[in-house]
Amino acid sequence: MNEEKKIIHYDALVVGGGIAGGEAALNLANSGYRVLLVEKERSLGGKMILLSKVFPTLDCSACITTPKVSEIARHKNITIFTESEVTTIDKRSENDFVAQITKKPRYVHVEDCTACQLCEQACPVSVRDEYQQGLIGRKAAFIPFSIANPKAAAIDIENCTLCGACEKVCPTHCIDFTMQPEQFELHARTVVMATGFNLFDPLEIPRYGYGQHKNVITSMQMEREIAPTRPFNTILRPGDGKVPDKIAYVLCAGSRDASVGNPICSQICCMYSIKQAQLLMGALPMADVTIYYINIRSFGKGFEEFYQQAKGMGVSFVKGKIGTIKEKENGNLILRYEDISEGVVKEAEHDMVVLSVGVKSNPDAGKIFPQGALKLDPHRFVAQTDLMGSPAKTSIDGVFVAGTASAPMDIPDSILSAGSASSEAISYIKQHQEA
Amino acid sequence: MKERIGVYICHCGGNISDYVDVEKVRQAVEHETGVAMARTTVFACSDANQNDMVEDIRTHNLDGVIVASCSPKLHLTTFRNVTERGELNKYTYVHTNIREQASWAHSDDKEGATDKAIRLVKAAIAKSRYAEPLHPNLFEAEKTIAVIGAGIAGMKAAASLADKQTEVLLIEKEHRVGGHTATWGPLAMSEESGSALTERIYNDLLRRENVTIMNGTEVISSKGSIGNFTLKVRKRPLKEGDPVETAEFTVGSVVVATGFDSYQPKEGEFGFAQSDNVITLPDFRHLIDHAEGKELIYNGKKIRNIAYIYCVGSRQTNGENSYCSRFCCTSAIHASILAKKRFGKINNYHLNRGIRTYGKQELLYAESLALGDLYLQWAEETPPAVVTEGKKTTITLRDILSANRDLELEADLVVLVTGMVPRADNKVGTLFKLPKGRDRFFNEVHMKLRPVETVIDGVTIAGSCQGPKNISESVNSALSAATKSYSLISKGTLETEPIVAEVNSDLCSWCGKCAEACPFDAILQQEVGGKMVAVVNNSVCKGCGMCAPVCPPDAINLINYSSEEIMSMIDALA
Ligand SMILES: Cc1cc2nc3c(=O)[nH]c(=O)nc-3n(C[C@H](O)[C@H](O)[C@H](O)COP(=O)(O)OP(=O)(O)OC[C@H]3O[C@@H](n4cnc5c(N)ncnc54)[C@H](O)[C@@H]3O)c2cc1C
Ligand code: SF4
Ligand code: SF4
Repeated sequence: MNEEKKIIHYDALVVGGGIAGGEAALNLANSGYRVLLVEKERSLGGKMILLSKVFPTLDCSACITTPKVSEIARHKNITIFTESEVTTIDKRSENDFVAQITKKPRYVHVEDCTACQLCEQACPVSVRDEYQQGLIGRKAAFIPFSIANPKAAAIDIENCTLCGACEKVCPTHCIDFTMQPEQFELHARTVVMATGFNLFDPLEIPRYGYGQHKNVITSMQMEREIAPTRPFNTILRPGDGKVPDKIAYVLCAGSRDASVGNPICSQICCMYSIKQAQLLMGALPMADVTIYYINIRSFGKGFEEFYQQAKGMGVSFVKGKIGTIKEKENGNLILRYEDISEGVVKEAEHDMVVLSVGVKSNPDAGKIFPQGALKLDPHRFVAQTDLMGSPAKTSIDGVFVAGTASAPMDIPDSILSAGSASSEAISYIKQHQEA
Repeated sequence: MKERIGVYICHCGGNISDYVDVEKVRQAVEHETGVAMARTTVFACSDANQNDMVEDIRTHNLDGVIVASCSPKLHLTTFRNVTERGELNKYTYVHTNIREQASWAHSDDKEGATDKAIRLVKAAIAKSRYAEPLHPNLFEAEKTIAVIGAGIAGMKAAASLADKQTEVLLIEKEHRVGGHTATWGPLAMSEESGSALTERIYNDLLRRENVTIMNGTEVISSKGSIGNFTLKVRKRPLKEGDPVETAEFTVGSVVVATGFDSYQPKEGEFGFAQSDNVITLPDFRHLIDHAEGKELIYNGKKIRNIAYIYCVGSRQTNGENSYCSRFCCTSAIHASILAKKRFGKINNYHLNRGIRTYGKQELLYAESLALGDLYLQWAEETPPAVVTEGKKTTITLRDILSANRDLELEADLVVLVTGMVPRADNKVGTLFKLPKGRDRFFNEVHMKLRPVETVIDGVTIAGSCQGPKNISESVNSALSAATKSYSLISKGTLETEPIVAEVNSDLCSWCGKCAEACPFDAILQQEVGGKMVAVVNNSVCKGCGMCAPVCPPDAINLINYSSEEIMSMIDALA
């Protein structure tokens, strides 16, 4: 451990570099404030940078995220720490939020790396690629994904065998195993929490068979299969590589379900499932796509029309709650469900099942502040203390919340929420400016 | 003439390269006259490629840059900025769209798509060779900001701007502020009433010296553009005989927060206006907010059984309002719970089309179910029929939730859960020429990248005038719009595009045809050298080119689209 702690000063600290954190940072920076943006992953962009296209406009997600991320990365008022953790934030005065930050070593000097991928080819270790949602493998010396920012190699030290193969082939000698964690003490005048959400873990519902049945995947995995930077060149089911032709979507997987401790609606899964169904109909014109739902929640601008469009394209919508999913020997799946419009229990066979997993809170947000200072709601999202009058306000004056850190929401709502948080943060700084 | 052009052909992930053979395009253009290098790239807009481009400009000594990728609407500015970082004049950058125009338009014909892409890139090269450096127009911006509409969104936008030490004019056409919210009692998801919330925010505004609240005031005209809008306002007389006062103000930016209208059912729509027992959701809210005593009384009658018919005026697949109004499921359930808790002995029947209590609002739905409310669901093709005979109102419907059984129920009161529609009074929209979406609400530039901006520079939209929203969503949008308006003009100096129309006053003899054709009122009649001619206001002109072809003596040219450029492009396309 590098003992020396560097003391740094910024106007604002933004925790989380997803679309909400990025937007908040840009708004602050464009108004002339200096921002430190801290992201725990190896790239900016959060979940959005990994998506295929986005509802209801079907814009290519990479095409709208990468330039935004690039703007953030180049902004003269924004400094970015990736692979970094904010361990505590302490409010010393109205003007002084003190954060302890640990920047983990990447074992690659980003400035010198040309992303030539020679290290990747040389590395003998293969592990599951988390950015491709475990659908394929990656090396221990690797570039996280093709549109990652920063686009540079990283060494996954947990899986690295220290064989040194990468170091030998690197033409710019930017791999450095002697790198140490760095400690920073940051003083900022305001804080925006944009720590985002976690996906519901489908292993919590064993009757859906995720993790046991090979052809039951999550919506995030499907998102990767249909993204421009997809792992395979086509859509296929992981069990045997067959191109599926009868795909089922199970909505509300882990949402609206008190039995898994998540009684609320995730607000995005109806829409992203309808989006994926439309994209699948385009990519696999012969395939049948069926969506099993409780209610379809297409409530935003253009959403209802998007839902009707999916119906028009031939996506089947079945109102019914899935009881169990069983696997057949050939890898196909039998879904048992109650068909509500007929009032009978039925079975249907599909060759691939996508679980539309819901949005869970990210508990990180609460842990960063001294015991209980940042209030959470019953679902462990950051509590909004004035939901109607000032939705970005939290229980700590000067700390604001942006995006899905406070509740499930889609990208347009995350961006508006980030606009709101940055507006409050700017007002807060102005009001507490030392004379 | 450019001699060292760099050409980048983008895969756009697969959006382009799935149908266009990008390598073939590259080979087809790399030896064109003037081309110094041609490259393909997976994502031209990625940070890594942008850096490569800047590097290429330096190392290959490029004098022109072309990217063949997506629509210029998305990335023209991105690549102009890259060009500028490479120290070239950014207006010499040429963009060509081979995604929408080649790949997506011809996904059934890969060879044809590739061939078209090649021609488009060749045309871009022809244009690039003649591209001249241009310089943006700079001018001083007025720092006051006007907010139109003092509902919850407008008031919050004004407060947020005031916090940023900006002078704000808050203009409200009614004589009281607060919009719809001011009239509500208890709000869903909150402990506060709508009236208390608006009062709290209004009082907060009154404390600020830099906000001028003008109620009973309408904007009657607007001239100018970003940085310098001249608004003429008229104070509506409080009572007849009061003088009508007008005034003029100059502002740098405008936040439009004019809100929505509640859908007004037509006569006979679910029995509306045919029976006193049928009322709208806002009427019902007023009824329970103002009711006294332990019983709910309406028209002298005790109310026990209430039927709520959802989606009235919304989700009309083939009708005028195809959208979902977003707030009304939650609002109706919340009102029904209020009624049940306050008056006891109430039976609620929710005749819905699929309940949309998204997010945490789901808990209200769960609470209502726990209270024993009954939910019945109908399909658009078989709407419930409401019949009143004497004092009795009967509803028949086919219920999806009980295997399509036909049910009949009697209700003392039928509440039509009416949605949001755009304001019938569109004066403000017309004044600023704000475009509308399919839903007839004001349209944003880009739902994800620029959700509060409009195509009219300097005019932002806040709250439900952009589309249905609840209070907290409206406030988020208002604060975003305020921040955007603020950051647009806070620097004081503004840049506008140099790509504007140019009138050759020697040829012009003022016939006025161009002024008629201009959608932005950018052309004025002025005396120049002793005769009347057309003059273009550079800060208003958008360079759309509508004026050029209608000019009889051909006196109008569009900068950046010179005849040389256009003719050589046409030659390359042929
Ligand atoms: C399968 C799927 C499909 C979707 N499709 C669409 C769509 O088509 N259209 C649409 O509008 N929405 C879609 N969404 C929703 C969209 O992904 C979210 O609305 C959006 O990503 C929320 O952004 P965010 O910034 O709030 O959160 P996130 O994307 O989760 O970003 C949070 C960031 O914070 C970082 N972070 C977390 N904790 C810490 C910490 N302690 N310190 C530092 N950094 C931290 C995370 O690593 C992450 O980068 C989809 C979601 C899913 C799951
Ligand atoms: S958005 Fe749709 S799928 Fe997701 S939890 Fe809500 S109702 Fe279920
Ligand atoms: S919110 Fe509910 S009642 Fe309102 S239009 Fe949408 S589905 Fe219908």
